[in-house]
Amino acid sequence: MLSFALKNMAIKKIQVILIVISIVISAGVAVLAYNTSNQVRDGITDTAGWYSAIIGPSGSKTQLAMNTMYFTDEPLGTVPYSVVGALQRDSRVKKVIPYAMADNYNGYRVVGTASAYLESKEILEGRMFDDSGVYEVVLGASVAKVCDVRVGDEIFTSHSASEEHTEPLKVVGILKESHSVFDRTVFTQLKTIWEVHEHGEHGEEEEHEHGEMNGGICAAIVTTQNPAYAMALVNEYDGKIITDDDGDQVTLQAIEPMETVRSILEEADSTKYIVYVLCAIILVMNVMVISIITLLNMYNSAKEISLMRLIGISMKKINLLYILQNGLIGIVSVALAFAVSKICLLFMDSYASSMGVVLDTARIYPAEWVILALVFAIAVLPTVVCTFVMARRDSINE
Amino acid sequence: MIEIKGVSKSFKNETALDYKDLTFEAGKSYMLLGASGCGKSTLLNMIAGILSPDRGRIIIDGKDMSAAPQKEKDRFRIEKIGFIFQDFKLINEMTVADNIGILRLEGIDTSGMDSLLTRLGIAEKKNKKVKTLSGGQKQRAAIVRALVKQPDIILADEPTGNLNYSIGEQVIKELTQAAKGKTLIAVTHDERLRPYFDCVIDMNDITGSPYDVAQGKAVE
Repeated sequence: MLSFALKNMAIKKIQVILIVISIVISAGVAVLAYNTSNQVRDGITDTAGWYSAIIGPSGSKTQLAMNTMYFTDEPLGTVPYSVVGALQRDSRVKKVIPYAMADNYNGYRVVGTASAYLESKEILEGRMFDDSGVYEVVLGASVAKVCDVRVGDEIFTSHSASEEHTEPLKVVGILKESHSVFDRTVFTQLKTIWEVHEHGEHGEEEEHEHGEMNGGICAAIVTTQNPAYAMALVNEYDGKIITDDDGDQVTLQAIEPMETVRSILEEADSTKYIVYVLCAIILVMNVMVISIITLLNMYNSAKEISLMRLIGISMKKINLLYILQNGLIGIVSVALAFAVSKICLLFMDSYASSMGVVLDTARIYPAEWVILALVFAIAVLPTVVCTFVMARRDSINE
Repeated sequence: MIEIKGVSKSFKNETALDYKDLTFEAGKSYMLLGASGCGKSTLLNMIAGILSPDRGRIIIDGKDMSAAPQKEKDRFRIEKIGFIFQDFKLINEMTVADNIGILRLEGIDTSGMDSLLTRLGIAEKKNKKVKTLSGGQKQRAAIVRALVKQPDIILADEPTGNLNYSIGEQVIKELTQAAKGKTLIAVTHDERLRPYFDCVIDMNDITGSPYDVAQGKAVE
């Protein structure tokens, strides 16, 4: 029966291709929308949950949160490193990590920080950069892979496309792939960022004294001893005015990452529902398109069915034949839709990663199987109904 | 043996057909002659279980098939009856082999296909699509499909209706030879084909006393 079903499908390839395309588009879009929306949400909330507070320059809360946690957008500016010292002396604070972003390596962001920033990350090869040293970098897995860089190699960062720094940075480690934005980032000790910039701005003659912690940072990432301290800390630092090394006044901004992210997601929630509604519309259209194509197909097949009936093929076998045909179309289409959604996710990942969101193509949500099963049912159901109706109206012995 | 007893059949907006009692002996070939609408094809369709009589009985080898459920009629048709149609009833987009292989859906053994195709002279057309064949070749393919399952009864409804006389005659000649030893009932308008059949029945005369072919009351 399978062999005959395949041959029968081959002679109706136009209809079969139309049905397959229809299913692939609708199921692919639905699965892709669901997966992307959930991965973005999960990725953002997971990262935001790591920190109690972020303190940086005044400006957009969203920009401060997104730049510090997801390496997106540009930093708001800098605040003096003395903020870190003040926070370290605060008994409510468990940990403070300085954060600075200035350069890029082949388009990948370079983050200056402390090794504690990467303590939850696994080193695949080499070691973590030395907090007391300079000119050492640890690469995200994708950076090392794409740029074909290994431990021991030297790289040159740049401030812009035309402005490459002359100081080589030594690759001392490569992070294990984490399917996060860390895969696409270069990490170094904070002082390296300052030193490289000093070289760029003042030349060799006016080089800073190594080991001096007196530069600027884009933010201080804080973990409090107790979650309850976070709000008090934010209230205390938000809007606080301090004086930097040059005697200029700098206004600080403090945010609770989870709160900021929650407000971002609340805005995104309405977008999410629009995506779901669009998916539902696509699925309904899919039902209609598949039903129409199936009905036309079955109408065209009426002659063939009557022929089979005349030579003695039972209605049961004919029903099985058509259900098998549409079942095969459904399975192939759903598998293709799944593959297409993952390929699209791969392309979207390279786009999304530029915004700090990393999409894992291997990540599959249980609801995706439900969507695919639903689409498969939609593909097969019209045939089951048609064959059932035909069996009831069997032309033999009418 | 096929016995037709007190059978009548009516269609919507058409006159009822009342059949004389008829008996078709096993292993003989019969030619049903008659004008259009006299009930030749209807009789074949009732024997094949495609149509059911309004009343009366169609007894095949002692079993009243007209009273059998449709599933049993379907099973009987696929296993015991080879039906050849005027318009061939082949799927044009499929090959000859696939059109014959369709019987395998019901578990019918089609291993005799090659020898039958050779016997009917269309072996080289086995893997050709039906739409590329001539009318005569299509009818031969339809005959192979009817005979490959080695049926006890062969029913042919105007098998030469779409063919010119010389090709039609050749087809009938081949059909009657291939059907030797089986019960063959063929409907045709063409009286010139009489010599190829054991008996000829004029279906224009469908009323009156019982008509027993076995006793030689056939039209000359």
